[in-house]
Amino acid sequence: MKRVLRLSLALALPLLAGGCATVRPWDRDLLAEKEMSFNPCPMLHAIDEHVYFSKEASMGGQDASGGGCGCN
Amino acid sequence: MQLETSSGGAAPTGSPALRDRLHKAAIALLLLPATARAESTPANQVDFTALYYGEQGRTQVYEPVVRVTRLFGDGQFLSAQLAVDVITGASPSGALPTGTVQTITSASGRLRTVPAGAIPTANFQDRRFALDGDWHRPWGKLFSTTIGVHASRERDYQSLGVNGKITADLLQHSITLTAGGGYSDDSVFPLGGTPIGLSDGTAVSDQKNPKRVSVLLFGVSRVLTRRWMMSLDATRTAERGYLTEPYKVISLMEPFSGVPIAQVTDKRPSTRTRNSALLSSVYHLANDIAYTSYRYYWDTWGIQSSTLDVRYRHRLASDDWYLEPHLRFYRQSAADFFTAGLSSALAPPDFATSDYRLGQLATMTLGTTFGFRLGASPALWTVRAEYIRQAGDSSPPGALGVQRTFDLSPPINTFTMVIGTSFKF
Repeated sequence: MKRVLRLSLALALPLLAGGCATVRPWDRDLLAEKEMSFNPCPMLHAIDEHVYFSKEASMGGQDASGGGCGCN
Repeated sequence: MQLETSSGGAAPTGSPALRDRLHKAAIALLLLPATARAESTPANQVDFTALYYGEQGRTQVYEPVVRVTRLFGDGQFLSAQLAVDVITGASPSGALPTGTVQTITSASGRLRTVPAGAIPTANFQDRRFALDGDWHRPWGKLFSTTIGVHASRERDYQSLGVNGKITADLLQHSITLTAGGGYSDDSVFPLGGTPIGLSDGTAVSDQKNPKRVSVLLFGVSRVLTRRWMMSLDATRTAERGYLTEPYKVISLMEPFSGVPIAQVTDKRPSTRTRNSALLSSVYHLANDIAYTSYRYYWDTWGIQSSTLDVRYRHRLASDDWYLEPHLRFYRQSAADFFTAGLSSALAPPDFATSDYRLGQLATMTLGTTFGFRLGASPALWTVRAEYIRQAGDSSPPGALGVQRTFDLSPPINTFTMVIGTSFKF
C-alpha cells in the first residue's frame, strides 16, 4: 500500500502542481477538438480491454467496472 | 483590447490567423468542458463494431457490438449496449508435452503425427451475451456523474454489476478529478461440475461458485499547455471467491525423466487484490495527435506488469479521414504459484497453476486504424487491423528432465480486425 501511495504521489504531484499558468479559453481551440481526449474511441478501447484481459494477467486503467467475463 | 498569445506576447491584431483563433476560441468556449458538452437539440447515436480475433491454430472469436445512445439537450445521455461473443477453437490445457512422438487419427480418418514437444490443447466453444447501460448527467458547470449497469451470461459464467463515477472540473477546467467505484456479483458454474483443486478431477460438485469483484478508481487530469494534456489514474480491484480456472490442468511428472504420468486440476487462491497506475498523455502536434500511456500493475499473486501504448493519429484530407498506427508492448512476471508441472514424488503445494497467462509473458501489438467518411453520408467508419505476438518463458520454473528440451511457451500469433461505424439521427 505504501508503494501505491508513493508512486501515485510521485506521478500526481507534477500534474497538480505543474505551475499556475492556465491555458486561457481563447487558446483552447486545439483542446476543444473531439479527438483531444484520453479515450477518443471508447468502443475500440473496450474491445482492447476485453482482448487483453482474456490473454494477460493484468487489468485496470480508466474504468471502474470489473469482472464481467469468465475468460480469465 | 489587446489579447495575449499563449507565450505572453501581443497578438498581431486583425491578422487572419488571429481571426481564425478567435473563431475557434468562440467555439471552444461553447464546447468546454468536454464532459458537460451540450447538444443544441436532442439526438440519437448508433455505434456498431464487429471484431474478428484469430489465433493461429487456436482460438477464434467473432464479436458484434451495438450501442444506442440518446443525447439529451442538456448534456445528459443514456446508452444501452448489446454484445455477443462467439468463441471456438482450442487453448492450451496446461498439460506438458508427452515427450514422445505420437500418431493419432483425426475425426476424418486421416493419420496425423504429433511432435514430442507439442503443447496439448483442449477444444472448446462458448457464446457470451452482454448488456450494458450508462447514464451520464452534468450537475452545473463543474460536476458530472456516470452510472452504469452490466449483465452478461455465458454457458458457465454469469456477471451482474453496477459502477459509477463522479467528475469535478477545477481551475477553469484545467484540472479534472475523478472518483469512482464498481461492484460485480459473478457466478461460476463449470460444465460437468466444479472439480476439487489439485485433484485428479473425478470428484466434482454441482454448486454455483460465487466471485465478487470490487473496484475503486481515482484519477486526475490536467491541461498542461495549449497542446498537451496528461492524466494519472489509479485503480484497486479486490476479487473474492472462486478464482480458479476449472478446465486447466497441471501435469505430474516423473521426477527425473520429466515424462508426464498423470495430471491434476488447477487451484488458485480465493482472494486477489490488483492495483494499477496509468499515466496518459495526449499531445496535439501541428495537425496530428499523439496518444501515449504507461501502466504499471501489481497484485497479491505476485504478478507485476508494464504496458506501454503509443498511437499516432495522422490526419489525411479532413478531420474525419485519418490513419492511426498503434504500437503496444506488454511484459508481466509470473504468479508466485505458477509452475510448468509438478513432480510426482513431492507433496502438492497449496496452490498451483500451469496456465500460461499467469506465467512470465510478453505481448507485442502492431496495427493501424483507418477512419473515413463516405461522401456526404453522416456515418463515420473505422477499419482496424492488428497483429499480436505473445510469447512466454520457454523453460519456466518446474520443468524437469525432457521438458527442459522443449519450448514450453511457443509464440502465439494473432490477427484481429475491427470494422466500426457511428452515426447520429
